Amino acid sequence: MEEEAEAEEQERFSYQQRLKAAVHYTVGRLCEEVALDKEMQFSKQTIAAISELTFRQCENFAKDLEMFARHAKRSTINTEDVKLLARRSNSLLKYITEKSDEIAQCNLERKARKKKKSEDGNKSSRETAEAEAVDSED
Amino acid sequence: MADFYNSDSEPTTRTLLRRVLDTADSRTPRRLRSAGAGAQRALLETPSSRRLNSGTKTTAKQHSHGARSIGRLAHFQVSGNLEEQTPRTLLKNILLTAPESSILMPETVVKPVPALQVVQPSRKESSRGSLELQLPEFEPPTTLAAGLPAPSRKKQRLRLSVFQQEVDQGLPHSQEHPGNADASSLTSSLNLSFATPLQPQSVKRPGLARRPPLRRAVDVGALLQDLRDDSLASAPSGDSLKTPIATLPTDTVLEDTQPFSQPLVGCSPSVHHFLPHPFPTGTEDAERAMGHGTQSSGPGLQNHKIIEAEDSQGTVEAEEPEGSSEDENTSDRPAELAASTPEFLQAKQLHPIPETAPPPGVAVLSSETLEPASARLPRKPRTAGSRPRQDSYKAGLNHYIKLFSFYAKMPMERKAFEMVEKCLDKYFQQLCNDLEVFAAHAGRKTVRPEDLELLMRRQGLITDQVSLYVLVERHLPLEYRQLLIPCAFSGNSVFPAL
Repeated sequence: MEEEAEAEEQERFSYQQRLKAAVHYTVGRLCEEVALDKEMQFSKQTIAAISELTFRQCENFAKDLEMFARHAKRSTINTEDVKLLARRSNSLLKYITEKSDEIAQCNLERKARKKKKSEDGNKSSRETAEAEAVDSED
Repeated sequence: MADFYNSDSEPTTRTLLRRVLDTADSRTPRRLRSAGAGAQRALLETPSSRRLNSGTKTTAKQHSHGARSIGRLAHFQVSGNLEEQTPRTLLKNILLTAPESSILMPETVVKPVPALQVVQPSRKESSRGSLELQLPEFEPPTTLAAGLPAPSRKKQRLRLSVFQQEVDQGLPHSQEHPGNADASSLTSSLNLSFATPLQPQSVKRPGLARRPPLRRAVDVGALLQDLRDDSLASAPSGDSLKTPIATLPTDTVLEDTQPFSQPLVGCSPSVHHFLPHPFPTGTEDAERAMGHGTQSSGPGLQNHKIIEAEDSQGTVEAEEPEGSSEDENTSDRPAELAASTPEFLQAKQLHPIPETAPPPGVAVLSSETLEPASARLPRKPRTAGSRPRQDSYKAGLNHYIKLFSFYAKMPMERKAFEMVEKCLDKYFQQLCNDLEVFAAHAGRKTVRPEDLELLMRRQGLITDQVSLYVLVERHLPLEYRQLLIPCAFSGNSVFPAL
């Protein structure tokens, strides 16, 4: 039992380390881009600090999102929860709301298309011909 | 001697005392006991009989007291020569200081005088017994309750507050005000941690941990004043309501509930305009949350002192909630506290603006809300609203600023005060906004205890290890614990078993 717990913990730890490494790598790439853009160099410690910070903040975000979802008596995390999380910084909030609106619109369009498809399947082709005729007249 | 008395048409205590002074001889009590006893008796009887014939109740009292005092004075005068303060000198002082009033004057005038005179003779009598002729003159008699004017009561209250302040001075720094103002919240990006949690304090000084939040009392008063000002001023805009410091609810642990009861009465007419709101524990004077009966005051208060029932105000948002359990757990207190907290909460709800804010659920006033608010959270600052409101909020913040400067134990510049005020303002605004957002997130228009709990969780006060009830138990006084924890009495076993 104990061995299992330990092994499990070790596995989790190694998994965590791998995740951290991935984050570190991504942060390094982003910093490279920014360095090229601004013509400034990033030291290794900076990149390490940023990656560590990102990782920890991600943990906090996850916990907060879960709390928010639970607060709203839901079991799934929603875009609303994400917006609530990002409300602190205005620019980020704006960006996220824009993106969420886009996604919502996409979903609506998809739904509309799906509905249309099903409707077309039921409707006869005459209606579509009439509609086309009407459109051409215009 | 008899002729002397008969000639006096209006024998007052003053005149009787004068007679005693004039006629008394300096002799040792022992020698003259047998001789003096008879004379004393004669003295006592004639004045008393004369007095009784006068008829007025007060005067009779006076006379009887005077007679007693005179008799005793005469008895002790003999022995008084040896000491510095003799009865004679005391009597002289009394005569000098006591206002001259005739028996037949109207009661209103006579009342204070007889009261004082009665007190003094009684004091003399008591001191006589111990041969300690050190009568404090014209000290506001604490024993006289009815006759005392209001100011003396206030003095007593002030002294109490001074005492409390002195006691607080002894408390560790962590319980400083700055901690209260900006609860060391670990929320997202705001790292305005002025003080560490009060946990160590409570450990070090368990006895003093339960300090009644004196600040709360002040805050409530200021809050109520602000309320009055607001009601007088133009109707507030529909900005977010700032919950008054609950703290004061938790804060509600007011040592002296009297001051609050009065203002509440005054504000009652305006109350019905507003929606009820729960009690912020802590600080009251801080801004009032609009529209939300937020308990932000509560959490703020709790946060100040990390849920120290009036603990460090700084830790949690509100300052007040220090929830320091107070030592005074007299039987009167719980009732008073319970009564005062709801009143307090109601007063806090006065702030919401009827126009914009939808009627907040009164349910907010639940005891749970009290908990976070318990004097913890100062009233949430409002968002930039109408000017007059802002000023009142600033005035509310002044209280916390004073606490800050007190705990700093160093002289502070004006700029520093302004900065502190700015920070406090922003902090409380953030808290209020958060609460508002949380409530909206849950599809509600009222701030409920769950919102406060979420806020505290974000602040890091409540963790998986530390639950809300733990904080309540740690920092709030016993009365609040009963109110806030649903099953506080469960699981208690009496030992030894009866």
